[in-house]
Amino acid sequence: MSPVTLAIVATVAPAVAALLLLVLSPLRHRGAPAAWVTLLGSLVSLGAAVMLLVARLGGAPDARATIPWIEERGRAMAEIGILIDGVSLPMLIIVCLVALCVQVFSIAYMHDEPPRAFGRYFTLHALFLFSMNVVVVSPNLLQLFAGWELVGLTSYLLIGFYFAKPAAAQAAVKAFWMTKLADMGFLFGLLVLYVSTGGFEWTSAPSATVATWVTGLLFLAVVGKSAQFPLHIWLPDAMEGPTPVSALLHAATMVAAGVFLVVRADPLFALAPGTREVMLWVGSITAVFAALLALVQHDIKKVLAFSTCSQLGYMVAALGAGQAFAGFFHLGTHAFFKALLFLAAGSVIHAVHSNSLDDMGGLRKKLPLTTAAFVIGSLSLAGVPGFAGFFSKDLVLTSLEGKASWIPWAMLLGAAFLTAFYMGRLLIKAFWGELSERSSHAHEGNVAMTGPLVVLAIPSLASGFLGGWLATQSSAQYELHLGLTPVLASVMSLAGLGAAILVFRKGGQAPFTHVLEKLDTFSVVDRTWAGAYRIGLLGVASLAGWIDRYLIDGLINFTGWSALEGGSSARRLQTGLVRDYALLVTVGVLVLVLIGVLR
Amino acid sequence: MTLMNCILLASALMAIGVYGLATRKQAVAMLLSVELMANSANILFASFAHFRGGPTGQVFVLFALAITVAEVAVGLALVMLLYRRHGDTALDLASEARQ
Amino acid sequence: MSHLLALTMAAPALAAVVLLAIPGTSRTALRVVSLIGAVISLAGSIWVATLYDRALGGLQLLDTVPLVPSLGIHLKLAVDGWGVALLLLTGVIIVTGVLASWSVAKRDKEFFLLLLVLVSGVYGVFISQDLFIFFLFYEIAVLPMYLLIGIWGSSHKVPSAGPFGFTWKRFEVGSREYAAMKLTLMLLVGSAAILVAMFLLWSNSGARTFDMQVLEATKFPIAVQHVVFPLVWLGFGTLAGVFPFHTWSPDGHASAPTAVSMLHAGVLMKLGAFGVLRIGMVLVPDAAAWWAPIVGAVAVVNVLYGALCAASQKDLKYIVAYSSVSHMGVVMLGIATMNAAGWNGAVYQMVAHGIMTGLFFALVGLVYERAHTRTIAKMGGFAHVMPVVAGFFTLACLSSLGLPGTAGFVAEFMVFAGAAKGASPWWAIPGVLGAFVTAVYVLRACKTIFWGPAPVDEFAHLQDVQRTEWAAPLVLGSLLVVFGFWPKLLLDFIDAASQGYLGRLPIVALAQAVTP
Repeated sequence: MSPVTLAIVATVAPAVAALLLLVLSPLRHRGAPAAWVTLLGSLVSLGAAVMLLVARLGGAPDARATIPWIEERGRAMAEIGILIDGVSLPMLIIVCLVALCVQVFSIAYMHDEPPRAFGRYFTLHALFLFSMNVVVVSPNLLQLFAGWELVGLTSYLLIGFYFAKPAAAQAAVKAFWMTKLADMGFLFGLLVLYVSTGGFEWTSAPSATVATWVTGLLFLAVVGKSAQFPLHIWLPDAMEGPTPVSALLHAATMVAAGVFLVVRADPLFALAPGTREVMLWVGSITAVFAALLALVQHDIKKVLAFSTCSQLGYMVAALGAGQAFAGFFHLGTHAFFKALLFLAAGSVIHAVHSNSLDDMGGLRKKLPLTTAAFVIGSLSLAGVPGFAGFFSKDLVLTSLEGKASWIPWAMLLGAAFLTAFYMGRLLIKAFWGELSERSSHAHEGNVAMTGPLVVLAIPSLASGFLGGWLATQSSAQYELHLGLTPVLASVMSLAGLGAAILVFRKGGQAPFTHVLEKLDTFSVVDRTWAGAYRIGLLGVASLAGWIDRYLIDGLINFTGWSALEGGSSARRLQTGLVRDYALLVTVGVLVLVLIGVLR
Repeated sequence: MTLMNCILLASALMAIGVYGLATRKQAVAMLLSVELMANSANILFASFAHFRGGPTGQVFVLFALAITVAEVAVGLALVMLLYRRHGDTALDLASEARQ
Repeated sequence: MSHLLALTMAAPALAAVVLLAIPGTSRTALRVVSLIGAVISLAGSIWVATLYDRALGGLQLLDTVPLVPSLGIHLKLAVDGWGVALLLLTGVIIVTGVLASWSVAKRDKEFFLLLLVLVSGVYGVFISQDLFIFFLFYEIAVLPMYLLIGIWGSSHKVPSAGPFGFTWKRFEVGSREYAAMKLTLMLLVGSAAILVAMFLLWSNSGARTFDMQVLEATKFPIAVQHVVFPLVWLGFGTLAGVFPFHTWSPDGHASAPTAVSMLHAGVLMKLGAFGVLRIGMVLVPDAAAWWAPIVGAVAVVNVLYGALCAASQKDLKYIVAYSSVSHMGVVMLGIATMNAAGWNGAVYQMVAHGIMTGLFFALVGLVYERAHTRTIAKMGGFAHVMPVVAGFFTLACLSSLGLPGTAGFVAEFMVFAGAAKGASPWWAIPGVLGAFVTAVYVLRACKTIFWGPAPVDEFAHLQDVQRTEWAAPLVLGSLLVVFGFWPKLLLDFIDAASQGYLGRLPIVALAQAVTP
């Protein structure tokens, strides 16, 4: 099959699965068949992606094909299609692989759901994979936007999967609103690009001013989707969704779409140094801020959620430094080890039936395989030399050398320490120490649950060594060199772990815990947005509603009222007595006669 | 008999009719007054036709008579309805439209 | 078939005549006859679409019968690309509307009769090429609404307040009689304006004719145009919900029975927008170009203000009704751009919004029929008992907020692109903001009604979609998705017409030359 056909198959297979499940409702309602259909779709996608990879390793060139989507006078105003190159192909493989692992894991994890809910869950998964693939293979920014919104939709529906829970419902809506708010930037960016270049290509080279506008607006959407400060608040709440969903959407793939967008639109961003400067700072601040908050979370998923924010901050900072490849590399390794961490956390939650770190402890003895997976993921995330995370994080830090008087560089080094520190805390609290009461009944799940952990553990360990290959694919320069930054980064990660062992082994607390907890519970950012929503939106809306009902419609009523009142006044002339009318008629005739006579 | 006498007769009848219409309260009396006025017009038609010649006036009288009959029928029907509704034929009672 | 258009238009009216002969007691027969009439008209519309040559464009399937030749009045039927798209919309909405009103119990014969007559009027407007007939059909479409709302509608209370609170003594604001009366009066004032404009065109056409093709070719004196355009804009605009003459819409749509809301918001409001486009923009282009900035500015007020008003409502039907005001603003915005993207987007939005709001009202009707309340605060967790309704409602919400993959996105995107490319790019900003506010209020309503713990007590045994009720969600829902992924289906028709009409306008050629 030609690369184009393969790419179309890879994109559309999950859509076919989703459509089948939507239309053939019995299939969906019976639960298990839905899982198989979805898995088959993902498998076909992954298979096609792997075949594309094999072809590419055999020297196949980039593939691009488009068809007109919205036409105007026979000319395409917007196109859709596929593009397979050194960026989209690795991303496609990452997405399909992680999705497949997560779906297999879900079969075990969601086993206790009623069949209808189970079927709905997998239908949404198929829909998600399709949407994500639309993003990944998109040849232009418009299709990327379409896929971008669709993944937002599936995110909304999956966060709200337990819709009976008010917290989940609220979190789903919040996630949608926050990202939608940011997505207005995307739409405006597209419009500016369209007006100035007549298309939606990231390769079009507009003037520097236009590029700054476009990229600035696009970056707003990135801030929303990739949960950067100050729009990050939806991501921790999104943990209300099922854990495998958090692994796939809110850690590995969907939230990384923002980073992917910037990597794709790199030619545009290259024209806009101003935007990059902003990105550098936003990324750095998010990385540190989220890492600090991760330190005081008691919910295992929230630790990981803040960690995701923080790591996305790394990627955005690298993009801001102009090193798209560094961000993309970190995206790849992060997808593997964070998915691994979330799935392992899911395995833990499945075993102890609680999200709270306080209910865990000593799980090492009960869940050896999960513990191993979690440790691998944590070490990779912490950036311990040799693990995948080390290579990519090192590249990110190296790319920041010398930027903005080394401040972002220093911030991210500090964040590297914090990362190791909070992961150490998590490991110790959940897996070491005394067996808690809940932990004592824990046991490993079946192979559907452990299998994906093993599969994901491999790239979490080893995908760092693929950096060189990945770089050649996206024609970037990459070689590992020993210098100040890698050494410092290694030291930071090891120091963080060491410090965690020192502090938490005896059940101690991190310094400044109180301050951070205040910051976390008071959550200024959250409150600001909530206030903006209540006053800025609902308040204005109530005002508009009142004006419409009582002023504008009031005026209309007043018009009607005036007509009626006027009529009432005029009615007094009518006595209703026939004699009066007769007299008036006669008088009228006489007057007319007189006028006639006198004239 | 001159034309002037006829005109005077018609005028008198008309005046009586107007006076009756304006003063009487009973529907039948008012109807009668209307008839007087109609007939005063008929007399004028007939007398002009007689003194000036030509058939037009006489045709009009015949035509008007036919219509007056129909009109009286409708009027009496209304009076009947009025009586059934109010037990009286005073027209002032029929002022519901005002409310 | 030389009389295909006439047949399509007349089928519902003929069914109405047949209804007259059926005794009111045979309820199934009434419904089946109505459905047959509706289906014939839909089939006719589809046939028209297949016969229409998109590459050729222009007016096709011409069918002329002289009515009053001395005054230049002919029953001249023909269809352009816009007409094809709107015929299809009308057909779909009336078929699903008849099916959705299967359970009407009160005076059902008269109900279906009026509904069918109304729809014939709607078809007539989209295909008449004679201004007089256009207006005639317009009135046929608008007037039955008074009875349909006044007799079959529902009432509620609106507390009196504000500087005009004293007027409450005169009317029962919120009652169905009030809603019906307000709707009719406001639309009739609009009609009066249109009538004046019509006669101005007639008397200045030179040929003393109502034939729209002749009028199109006529270059009217600019002074006449400047009188005609605002009359047309506000006259038809009242029906399209143009701010500040939109207030009949929330009360009217909230009080109307399900099928009537579906038809009125789904199709009738489009008559207004179609009138502005077809009469205002095409017949008096020079004045239109002068007025376009004002039309566009008012349209963006519509978009944002309508959305904000919707966000403040507590009654489900009012939310949907105000969302119509907001979305019709998008249509008017597209019209005001006076370029191909904007006009295509406007007509596409007419179809997209028609389907979407039809779906909305059908579902709201279902919920209301079962729960007997429209106050969203009283509802909750309905997804547990009516998952199908919940699913389709969500779909309608998504199209409403312009999510890619639904028809709403294609339409809004084209309108915004047209606006950005046009003379006043800033219009796109409130437009997009309005879409965001839409996301807020539709999803909030969706969450409150359908999500949350399973309902107890009175709502625990609400039924999901039953038998004929499936039609509206299934048909309208899938169309939303189909038109969202495959815009070409409709866009070829719409674009053929837009290009044809734009080609005649010197001013527009200029506006397009400005953009790269």
